[in-house]
Amino acid sequence: MASSVDRREFLATIAAAQGAFVLGFWLPARAHAQSAAAGPWYEEASAREINAWIVIAPDDTVTIRIAQTELGQGVWTSNAMMVCEELQCDWSRVRPQYASANRDAREMAPAWTLPVPGNGATDPRGGGVPTFGNRDRTGVSGIPDSLYRRMRTNAASSVKDGRYYLQLAGAEARERLLLTAAALWNVRVAELTAKNSVITHPPSGRSTTYGRIAPRAAETPHPNPEGIAIKPPDQWTLMGTEQKNLDVPSKVTGSAVYGIDVRRPGMKWAAVRTCPVYGGDVRRYDFEAIRRMPGVRSAVQFPVPDPALTRGRIFSGGVAVIADSWYQAKTAIDKMPIEWDIPPAHAAFTTANMRASLIAALDQPGTVRANQGNVGGAFADAAKIVEATYSTPFLPRARMEPGNATVLVTDDRVDIWIGDQSPQETRFSAARITGIPEANVHLHLCHLGGGFGRNGNGPQAEHAIMIANANRGTPIHMLWTREEDFIGTTYRAMGVARLKAALDRDGWPIAIDVRTAMQEGGFGPDASFNEVSRYHVPNYRYSNHTTKFHVPVGTRRGIGQAAHEFYRESFMDELARAAGKDPYLYRRELIARTTLPYKADMIKALDLAAEMSGWGTPLPPGTARAIALEERGAETNGMATISAMVHTVSVSREGKVRLERVDVAHETGFGLVNPLSVRKQIEGQITWFYNDAMHQACTIKDGRIAENNFDTFPVSRINEDPPVINIRFFPTAHWLIGMGHDRATSVQSAIGDAIFQITGKRFRDLPFGQHNLTWS
Amino acid sequence: MAFDLIVNGTRHTIDADPRTPLLWVIRDQAGLTGTKFSCGIGQCGACTVHVGGRAVRSCSVPASTAVGSPVLTIEGLSPDGSHPIQIAWKEFDTPQCGYCQPGMIMSTLALLTTRPNPTDADIDAQITNICRCSTYHRIRQAIHLSARLMRK
Repeated sequence: MASSVDRREFLATIAAAQGAFVLGFWLPARAHAQSAAAGPWYEEASAREINAWIVIAPDDTVTIRIAQTELGQGVWTSNAMMVCEELQCDWSRVRPQYASANRDAREMAPAWTLPVPGNGATDPRGGGVPTFGNRDRTGVSGIPDSLYRRMRTNAASSVKDGRYYLQLAGAEARERLLLTAAALWNVRVAELTAKNSVITHPPSGRSTTYGRIAPRAAETPHPNPEGIAIKPPDQWTLMGTEQKNLDVPSKVTGSAVYGIDVRRPGMKWAAVRTCPVYGGDVRRYDFEAIRRMPGVRSAVQFPVPDPALTRGRIFSGGVAVIADSWYQAKTAIDKMPIEWDIPPAHAAFTTANMRASLIAALDQPGTVRANQGNVGGAFADAAKIVEATYSTPFLPRARMEPGNATVLVTDDRVDIWIGDQSPQETRFSAARITGIPEANVHLHLCHLGGGFGRNGNGPQAEHAIMIANANRGTPIHMLWTREEDFIGTTYRAMGVARLKAALDRDGWPIAIDVRTAMQEGGFGPDASFNEVSRYHVPNYRYSNHTTKFHVPVGTRRGIGQAAHEFYRESFMDELARAAGKDPYLYRRELIARTTLPYKADMIKALDLAAEMSGWGTPLPPGTARAIALEERGAETNGMATISAMVHTVSVSREGKVRLERVDVAHETGFGLVNPLSVRKQIEGQITWFYNDAMHQACTIKDGRIAENNFDTFPVSRINEDPPVINIRFFPTAHWLIGMGHDRATSVQSAIGDAIFQITGKRFRDLPFGQHNLTWS
Repeated sequence: MAFDLIVNGTRHTIDADPRTPLLWVIRDQAGLTGTKFSCGIGQCGACTVHVGGRAVRSCSVPASTAVGSPVLTIEGLSPDGSHPIQIAWKEFDTPQCGYCQPGMIMSTLALLTTRPNPTDADIDAQITNICRCSTYHRIRQAIHLSARLMRK
């Protein structure tokens, strides 16, 4: 095997061993080979690393290795801040780089990173709760104590997972640098200070830089790594400050390298077509019909990806055409006759019959997940009964970068260049498909052009690995069209919910019965956030109901909570209106009556958002305010994320909806690591959920997703972004779950209630844009 | 068949079918990958470049239309991010995933060429690119700052 990768890494090793002379020799060769800017992926360091996260170069440049993928959430910056906070290096010289998923297959985590402190609520050593769990082989998720432990980018977990061990990594390195300097000068460590990559010994006036002593520190073991303490939030100096994202400069010049930008010597391109009905496969295709088209090389058929590699989800089989350029491959495959084998039962699915199945499932027994008090008895005593049925459609993520991966398979090694939220799982897939051990699988992680749900990347890697495995020795860059990306992604499941409440004479609920239905795997069954009622009610029942559909479903900015928030908060507005009470004060009172551990924080959020918005002050005609609470985890005494938002919405007589202003009260938890990234997440999710509320839906026709590009699947443009967004943070004392999803879900119920206030019409099926919103 | 294109002031001899969309010639033949592919049907604007000073969605125009007209891509704005629009974008830390931003910046340049002092209504009417992370709130502020910096 003589791939250029090996040559490059071989030369890099030589460079590391022999210094600058060789370095100068190999760099131009590398630049020639890649022709574009260097990628963000892991490179063997030319200086010896201090630990697996930190390399300090002689010029004090600090390379910090990040085990999660930057997809816009700011992890390259927030997680580098955690290391820098403890290391006390010069933030302006920090360079993030992706951690090596290959080393993760070969090396174990340092013992000092393994302890898990606290329970998230008490945070005894300033740590959080890493949610590393469930890393089993059959779940295709690696080794429980591999070097970087959990390399997934999902569940809004990168900050809470990273903080504990990244702060430890920074502290471990700092202490070793100090030990090195103390030994060098024959002084006590306690007499030294470290700041901005400079170590000073005030009594003697001596100083040195990290870069100068890093080679020696790399040889100096830590005598007691288990004793390393990390800073609690009240001692942070960098964490907790608004820091611009370190990848932003590359993203305004076009030099940021995404998976789609990877170029390898001798690389060919693959365009694919997969069966548009999930579970379908290729019956036959006629490569001869296109063989002579420009640039065309070959075709490869591939089966439905092994569900063991796609978290049990069943996608489709397909065929790839390989050509010199992607456009040639795509032009050819568009003309290639392909016949599909489509399971008739799958082709029979339509949105209408799926919806009917879900509605019917609501009346089946289902799984009772909560049953407190005597719900049936309370309904008999009701002064008023309110019932409402809501629905939410299938929704894809529709990230901007279509699925792609570049793969080179040789007889004993696999190289994959990819923007990937699950590199450990992809490593496992590569080993399974090629028969080459995971230790010989090298993932070169790239930035990802949007994520919004780990499994939403679909089988992009598996497709590319199967195609490249049939073309060993040639790097294959597989790229989906936008239309293929709509087939290759998972969907948030279509859902329906029927909520029924018994109110007493004063309008307060005495019983609530919640029934939700989604397809199996669609997080109806996992909707544990319904198991305890957010709002006080003495008699509470929650059951979920499932049916079987063929659409592969998964997370989409949360585990389906956004749909449940629409059901729950919309229903609260309906109850408040039925009771003749103010929806803000109605919610406030019902939170105050609970015994939930974080009820004071939820009340704070409601009060602050209402105050910020001028709740109750007059508005122009055709304009209304609506409020909702957003929380996750607040029913349990652990991690939580709590916010409240007031949305000011206008509806013209012609039915045009405008989100005019959003007032956001958001908690800080123990401490926001990078409040700027938090603001950006909130701003972005407001318009994300505006899209869900107003526009977006995928329908099923003849078993296929009918909307598969931006002409039929609408996405808001800048003209729909709210002109005013006010965000204020208020302090709380627990650990946050995360910011990447389930923020601004309130847009959905708020627009629904504002439409009701303005037009008198109550709509319960999303998106609202499908309804007649005119009024007179 | 070969034809010549001037991209960011550099002449490239392109060996491709002239019907190939300009996007793929820029990315594959000129080797400039800052211009992005996303929808392929001219809807999202991630592929926006300038041809002869006008913004076009390069996924949906044949490369031959740029013969004789200079092409400007994100890489041609400045090599180091020093163009006023890039400075403004950094000031607001605008990008999230960043994939759409080269197209957004090129659309902004086109807007500011015709409207050096745009109103919010001008922005709403002329910036029709998609950002799935919905960074629009910062894009709008960055456009206004860009306009101020470019008037200086």
